[in-house]
Amino acid sequence: MFFRISYIHFCSIIFMLIVAPALAGVTQSVDAQTDLSSWKIDDGNFELELAQLLPDQTRAFFLARGFSKQIANTIATSCIMQTIGRNSAEKEISASIDVDLKRWRMLHNGAESPVKLKEQWDSEWSAGEVIDAARLAFRWATFPTQQNFAHGDYGWGMTSFGLVPGERFDLKVVWSAAGVQKEAWIRGIQCAEER
Amino acid sequence: MMRQVTIQSMLLLLLSWSASAFSGQLLTPYKGVQPAPDFELVDVDGEKHRLSDYRGKPLIINFWATWCPPCREEMPSMNRAWHKVKDDVFMLAINVGEDEDTIFIFSADYPIDFPVLLDQSGDVIKQWPVKGLPTTFVLDREGNIRYTAVGAREWDDDALLEIVKGL
Repeated sequence: MFFRISYIHFCSIIFMLIVAPALAGVTQSVDAQTDLSSWKIDDGNFELELAQLLPDQTRAFFLARGFSKQIANTIATSCIMQTIGRNSAEKEISASIDVDLKRWRMLHNGAESPVKLKEQWDSEWSAGEVIDAARLAFRWATFPTQQNFAHGDYGWGMTSFGLVPGERFDLKVVWSAAGVQKEAWIRGIQCAEER
Repeated sequence: MMRQVTIQSMLLLLLSWSASAFSGQLLTPYKGVQPAPDFELVDVDGEKHRLSDYRGKPLIINFWATWCPPCREEMPSMNRAWHKVKDDVFMLAINVGEDEDTIFIFSADYPIDFPVLLDQSGDVIKQWPVKGLPTTFVLDREGNIRYTAVGAREWDDDALLEIVKGL
């Protein structure tokens, strides 16, 4: 019986095992307590979640790390999202996931642009403007520009999209598994508004 | 005929692949055998610790910060793990960029009974292959990096600790 499997059955099994999980689904949810939105991509092996952060939350975080009011406010009003990436494959022999934020693209008002990276932020601050402890905290609190997620790994950090509170944009998320590039669009992401 | 045999072979391969689906991997084997970068740091009580002093037992070394949610999530399980294996395994937490007072306040809610070292300048973490917090390394008795874990783990998991104790 087993060895009489037809070609069509075989193709169906292949689809269920490999192709179907690779189709990335995008979901949006709203936290009932905070009323903040989040967007999640899940292709069966990789999960990427973006969650709104209130400008006040971000402002308070960076003020507490030693940033000046002015710079903390500039960061806070640049559409900061909490970002969580996870290698969610159930099989431990599954490929590791590579994420490179330089390959992500935003679409806002018909114009495509890259994500603002932590290295860009850092280069904007002069030596006397930001104390070392604050610079260090920013570096480690933001999502890594490049990260590799082995099976079971997950990473966390803030990502900035350089838009004012309330703006909407689309985001092309790009990642690769075993060198094979994958991508998915998240449509209609909204930067959290001031409350 | 040939196509049928190929299909059957591929199907068998796929099914055996699926069989390992739920075995679960707790730690990621480090590529190759690499000595961990040495350092000297002070702990929250001002005592000096040199990595090279921690030889002869496996060592779990965790880079973290108090403001990092997954770091907070895993710290209780790290502390429980320490009490389970402290006779067989060394454990160090390296805080990145914060001071003793901050950690003192943190430890009121999250007790840490193993040494917490201070990398206030961030010079040590730069020498290690860390991209984000928390990242944890497991070293063997000779001081080589053998496993990594990016993101939180349940460190008091018995299967995980058996892997560590076997190094």
